[in-house]
Amino acid sequence: MEFSELIRTGQAQAELLRGPEAPPLRGTLCVTGHHLLLSPGPQATPDLWLLLLRSVDSIEKRVAGDCGTITLRCKDLRVLQLDIEGVEATLNIARSIEALSSLESVITSFPFFYRPKGLRLGDAWHFHPPERYYKRVARETNAWRLSEANEDFSLCPSYPRAVIVPRAVNDDALALTARFRQGGRFPVLSYHHAPSRTVLLRSSQPLIGPQKRRCAEDEALLRAVLAGSRPGARGFIVDTRSAQTAKQARMTGGGTEAKAAYPGWKRLHRPLERGRPLQESFVHLVEACGDLEQSMDHWLSRLAGCRWLAHVKEALSTACLAAQGMEREGACILVHGAEGTDSTLVVTSLAQLILDPSSRTMAGFQELVEREWIQAGHPFQLRCAHSAFSHARPKHEAPTFLLFLDCVWQLGRQFPLSLEFGEGMLLALFDHAYASPFGTFLCNSEQERCLCEVRTRTHSLWSGLNQLKEQRKLRNPLYVPNPLALWPSVEPQSLRLWQGLFLRWTRPPEPSEAAWEKVWQIVTDQEKTEGSQPTVSASELQL
Amino acid sequence: MSLLRGLLGMDLIGTWVRLFLSFREKLALLDSALLLDVPLGVISRIEKMGGATSRGENSYGLDITCKDMRNLRFALKQEGHSRRGMFEILTKYAFPLAHSLPIFAFLNEEKFNVDGWTVYNPVEEYRRQGLPNHHWRITFINKCYELCDTYPALLVVPYRASDDDLRRVATFRSRNRIPVLSWIHPENKTVIVRCSQPLVGMSGKRNKDDEKYLDVIRETNRQINKLTIYDARPSVNAVANKATGGGYESDDAYHNTELFFLDIHNIHVMRESLKKVKDIVYPNVEESHWLSSLESTHWLEHIKLVLTGAIQVADRVSSGKSSVVVHCSDGWDRTAQLTSLAMLMLDSFYRSIEGFEILVQKEWISFGHKFASRIGHGDKNHADADRSPIFLQFIDCVWQMSKQFPTAFEFNERFLITILDHLYSCRFGTFLYNCESMRERQKVTERTVSLWSLINSNKDKFKNPFYTKEINRVLYPVASMRHLELWVNYYIRWNPRIKQQQPNPVEQRYMELLALRDEYIKRLEELQLANSAKLCDPSASPSGPSQMMPHVQTHF
Repeated sequence: MEFSELIRTGQAQAELLRGPEAPPLRGTLCVTGHHLLLSPGPQATPDLWLLLLRSVDSIEKRVAGDCGTITLRCKDLRVLQLDIEGVEATLNIARSIEALSSLESVITSFPFFYRPKGLRLGDAWHFHPPERYYKRVARETNAWRLSEANEDFSLCPSYPRAVIVPRAVNDDALALTARFRQGGRFPVLSYHHAPSRTVLLRSSQPLIGPQKRRCAEDEALLRAVLAGSRPGARGFIVDTRSAQTAKQARMTGGGTEAKAAYPGWKRLHRPLERGRPLQESFVHLVEACGDLEQSMDHWLSRLAGCRWLAHVKEALSTACLAAQGMEREGACILVHGAEGTDSTLVVTSLAQLILDPSSRTMAGFQELVEREWIQAGHPFQLRCAHSAFSHARPKHEAPTFLLFLDCVWQLGRQFPLSLEFGEGMLLALFDHAYASPFGTFLCNSEQERCLCEVRTRTHSLWSGLNQLKEQRKLRNPLYVPNPLALWPSVEPQSLRLWQGLFLRWTRPPEPSEAAWEKVWQIVTDQEKTEGSQPTVSASELQL
Repeated sequence: MSLLRGLLGMDLIGTWVRLFLSFREKLALLDSALLLDVPLGVISRIEKMGGATSRGENSYGLDITCKDMRNLRFALKQEGHSRRGMFEILTKYAFPLAHSLPIFAFLNEEKFNVDGWTVYNPVEEYRRQGLPNHHWRITFINKCYELCDTYPALLVVPYRASDDDLRRVATFRSRNRIPVLSWIHPENKTVIVRCSQPLVGMSGKRNKDDEKYLDVIRETNRQINKLTIYDARPSVNAVANKATGGGYESDDAYHNTELFFLDIHNIHVMRESLKKVKDIVYPNVEESHWLSSLESTHWLEHIKLVLTGAIQVADRVSSGKSSVVVHCSDGWDRTAQLTSLAMLMLDSFYRSIEGFEILVQKEWISFGHKFASRIGHGDKNHADADRSPIFLQFIDCVWQMSKQFPTAFEFNERFLITILDHLYSCRFGTFLYNCESMRERQKVTERTVSLWSLINSNKDKFKNPFYTKEINRVLYPVASMRHLELWVNYYIRWNPRIKQQQPNPVEQRYMELLALRDEYIKRLEELQLANSAKLCDPSASPSGPSQMMPHVQTHF
């Protein structure tokens, strides 16, 4: 397929309105295979305005007289308006954008063509694989091993090739356990909490079914987990569904661990919203935030009505529960819902941020996202196909990853010094998860990424973000390492709307950025003065 | 021994410390873990709970309602009637006025190395604004508070209005609070004028002198042919006020004026709204429907209306180049909120610590915001309809602005909370009495200490490290509900589940970084000195720190 078949009109004269803060831009509009370009005339600034077509979430066209207007609502929640000369040109450009922004093929997407200066292909792809994490676990305990039973993705198509499992369980047993768990997602280690010698595991639901099936290998695996932990350790299974939903899942072949079959393990139900209701919350919230006309008298009840902050509260408190179980009660924790690819990951990754200081560094956080989201098989392509503006009926879309990012933001707000990365990093992850020139968030699983050769043919987001020039935007200049666990307050008055994301394009950004800039100045001044010291002492030595 | 309840889920057993006996200042309770420290001035109401025969744990004792969003409950043992004595002593010293005792501020002998009473000098402040000039003069007509007993002695009025004119205008303005200048724009010379409502009444009375006077004010500005009048009230209330002799400036009587109503509600509405806030935050935070409960208090909505009004005033003066008259009914509540907030937006001087003190001293204290009535210092009548959190609401608005402009204010959150704490504490004379004439009669400045003495003698504690001084920048906060927040650190600070992070960790970390940098610079200088002494050749390190130093310093 050629992109040119989809491009109806090469170019047109247009004016771009980018909201109240930025001045309008006039110039020649141009649609290419992956981008919408606006090049101002030669007399104006040479800056080219560029929009990745993949980031267009919905498009609306209107024509009046001999010109037209296209409104683009982007996945990063920005709303852009293009006033275009010529009715024909408007319609053609709109159609081209529509066609190109909804292409489903991965291998023709922009990351496969993006070759930025200064980056080498394959650079950061081996930066954060599970093997690396296993090395750390192996230093802390020898009850676990790295298994390559999933080398060919036959056990579990959504797991990576290598996973960390109890040493006492062999690969054959894993294969049998995989058959007893939905999608083959057998319990694997997510995090080892060295101080309490307990572990955090994740999986999908067991396939109990109406016949109340059991699986000896699955039971043995969880027994081995307790045996490998500190003596006398108990286990908690945090099921992210309500008890009733978990029970009902039996009708469709799923279910939850029966008490009698798993001695030592106690089940807790913490229902978290996922899928459709979560997506609807997101859509309503974005709608409310963008609705500048409405009478604001009922903003707070409208905000409450969106229920987004309620989801944040539930996710954070479930993560706290899991973290508390490990740190305070010395218990091992297994988290799962149904598929184990959504709310499960929110809980396991947040629990690590709460407990593990190293996951709060820039590198540690990237590793966490890579390990607990990308490698763990969160289906980014399905979940992030559209963000909040699409008119199409949502199929698999859900802002699970955004919910995680929002929770991290709340954590950062409550502990402003304890995260090495700042709001900029979370915004960047949100933007790139939905549309990106990098390959990191492509596909739904490691298996798919291998088929598409993502690792060899696209650039990693991590190498993009770790460039020096990006650091100021992403880092928290006030960071001081904090060895303690961060217990966030989940009281409703402690949780805020993430204005930096949801009101990013409607509020004037300048004041808070000024404060940020000031802190950066002082930090870099200090580094400079610090850095220049050796030169002085070196010259001293020469004397 | 007594048991203290009220701090959510925490019972404290401790010993009454009779501090309040010797100092008459505060109620304190000692416990191994926590020292309860309640200035007696904060107490609004003391009630006995339970009787000699009541059963059950903690059912007998004292219940104390405070003005700062908390209640304390002391559970006592029934034997020995220990309660009666305690009740009497507390009542006596918490409400000294009812017992013909002096307010604590008059007994306070604290010494500070700075005298806060010298912070505000009206002549100096008007001189800073460039007054008098050829349109505006300073008048001493109210020197003995004869023209208006709730106004300050010194007033700024149009040059072309004679003292006789002023007297005639005074008869037509509620409580003689005539239109006088609050602030003048340094460049376009438009002004903010404050006053009370005209006494129009049911019959629609007119007063030529008042009309002429406003026209004189209008004429001091040649850029725009109109004078803008902001009536802070909702228009219905303004109309209703005619029944009691008040009203507003009608079109036909006041030519060349434009009148806008700002829809801000009266003191009673504000009091009830804050009461509802207290209900949802103390002793337990209303969790299940937090946002909708918060909305139903309407507190943030009132904040929004006050801020929106002030933004309109500031914008009219700055961009609209029109002079502005602001009034409500008596011109000492909503008017003070609007003029002072607009001045804070327009004039960066008021965003410094001393500037803000001057602003409060000028627009609130000297212009007769009735602090004694609104707060009820030393008064036991807790249900007094005159009480209202108008000044708290103003400070809340300032806090909202400081959230939106983190580098614009020299002071931090602690400064604002300290002001509010001493609004009630009665430790300082600053907020005592209703007006300047009363304060003068009571010799407040001679007999009490100023709150600004406390603050200015320890300024570092109250400084915002991110402050960047900017001259002539007008701040327009976003007054949309999306951008307003409940001031959790103030309203919910007594809830033990709210983490109190004092001092603010971000500020503290920033201070550390500043100190570190200064230390590096110092060490660098020393090294350089040592270096240049050895080298006697400063060009040896061309990219060295010698070139960086000025760069480093220019930022701060």
